[in-house]
Amino acid sequence: MNQAAIETHGLSKSFGDIAALRGLELNVPRGSIYGFLGRNGAGKTTTIKLLLGMLRPDAGRFSLFGEAVDSEASSVAARRRIGFVSEGKELYNFMTVGQMIKFTRPFFPGWRRELEEKYLELFRLPRAKSLPKLSKGMCTQLMLLLAMARGAELLVMDEPTSGLDPAMTEDILQALADLAADEGVSVFFSSHQLAEVEQICDSVCILDEGQVVIDGVLDDLKSQYRRILAVFKSEPPDSLAALPGVDHLRQRGRTASLLAHMDVDAVVERIRELGAISVEVRPVTLKELFLDHVRGE
Amino acid sequence: MLWFKAWLETRWRFAFIAGTMLFAWAAPLWAPLFHLRTPPGVSDSRLWMAVHLASIFLYIFAAIYLAGSGINSQTTYSATSGFHPSMLFTLSLPVSRRRLLFVRAGLGALQTGILVAIMAAYTVFQRPGGTTAPQFLVYLARAMVCTMVVYALSTLLACLLDEMWQFYSGFLCCIAAFVLQFRVSLVSWLSPLRGMSLISYPIGGPVPWAPVISSLLLTAGLMYASMLIVQRKEY
Repeated sequence: MNQAAIETHGLSKSFGDIAALRGLELNVPRGSIYGFLGRNGAGKTTTIKLLLGMLRPDAGRFSLFGEAVDSEASSVAARRRIGFVSEGKELYNFMTVGQMIKFTRPFFPGWRRELEEKYLELFRLPRAKSLPKLSKGMCTQLMLLLAMARGAELLVMDEPTSGLDPAMTEDILQALADLAADEGVSVFFSSHQLAEVEQICDSVCILDEGQVVIDGVLDDLKSQYRRILAVFKSEPPDSLAALPGVDHLRQRGRTASLLAHMDVDAVVERIRELGAISVEVRPVTLKELFLDHVRGE
Repeated sequence: MLWFKAWLETRWRFAFIAGTMLFAWAAPLWAPLFHLRTPPGVSDSRLWMAVHLASIFLYIFAAIYLAGSGINSQTTYSATSGFHPSMLFTLSLPVSRRRLLFVRAGLGALQTGILVAIMAAYTVFQRPGGTTAPQFLVYLARAMVCTMVVYALSTLLACLLDEMWQFYSGFLCCIAAFVLQFRVSLVSWLSPLRGMSLISYPIGGPVPWAPVISSLLLTAGLMYASMLIVQRKEY
């Protein structure tokens, strides 16, 4: 029971000359809500498609709940434990809500009727309504219902709230958080909506150009990293960027903005020694962490 | 439930072709309204050959149309995407791709078979001078076997192309086979179109075993190739 929900080692995938993933190393703890962040084209959807067997890796391996997924049979077995909400949120337009549920149910022996009823009521989804007549938000809700009621141990969400209004987004995030808390379901939440990730995720991973650039428990990351604003009498010295513990440096005039981790006090001390006339240390937000790491400044 | 889904997504195609066949069946009812009569000097036998040739066209049309978009659940006419986004939901289900193809292609083949049987019965029993039951069964078997080549080819094309291109290229392949059978003796000898008696009288003569056997082998080969493509394809 201690195995990670998702574990990848050296996962790589290219499309022609474009490397979508380059040796991806992931460890998604079981029972966590794991935010998978990255810019468009960072490799988020490619990762999800690899996990679901829609793509095959060029190199590397991965396991779900400790079981290696390296063949079609193991992929089929893994998919019995996964609920998936795709970015496009498209289902079968020739079906009604009720038919969609009736179609999906037999694939999952652990289907939970009480959750089906609960979410039908919560999301106010009429069984008789045909899918083309549903709003995008209702389609998302139906996909969530289909993912949640199957008794999945892992929910894989690819931009689940894109295109939804704030109220609908809030309902969906709340439903996800409740499910994770009540049922112990692991959630792999791919998004570039940082506020949403910050709201519901306990762990995050930031992906950039197919590689993990930051990974960990969100609260730990926030406590490890600090924004240091230093003002100098003249141009900040070049050696600032080379200080141990400094991840990123931005300069504007006489002011330097540093993102630091590990022994921040020592970094502050060194900055003072380099001639800073004013040094301010602030906590960082997830947005700052994200921007500093994916911009590569 | 995959059969249920396959039926829902193909029922209108099936109804469309069945409607087309019904329209042909009802010719004695609507032909007089348009003053359509047999031209003088044309024998009933020649007229029946025209019905037979029209049937072949319908078999081919049914096979290409009902092969549809392969395991892709809905048509996409987008110039950029190769498959409908709902395909991601299908592929996330705990079902092997082989089973997806088996059900989708199986239902389409069944529908094609039913329509071919109905049209073959209509065609054969329109024949002047009557047809015996064994003659009908031979005609039906030949029509089925040879139509299934077209169906298998269309399924293979559907695994590779968008539905619109699958439809056009399916017909292009049939036209190419038709033209080549007049130019290349091997094609002529083995062509499924010859098996359907496109250019010979279809009832009473010896069974053209070469095209029938080649059709069976081709169908099996094409379906196997489709399965390999679907299993290896990346979405």
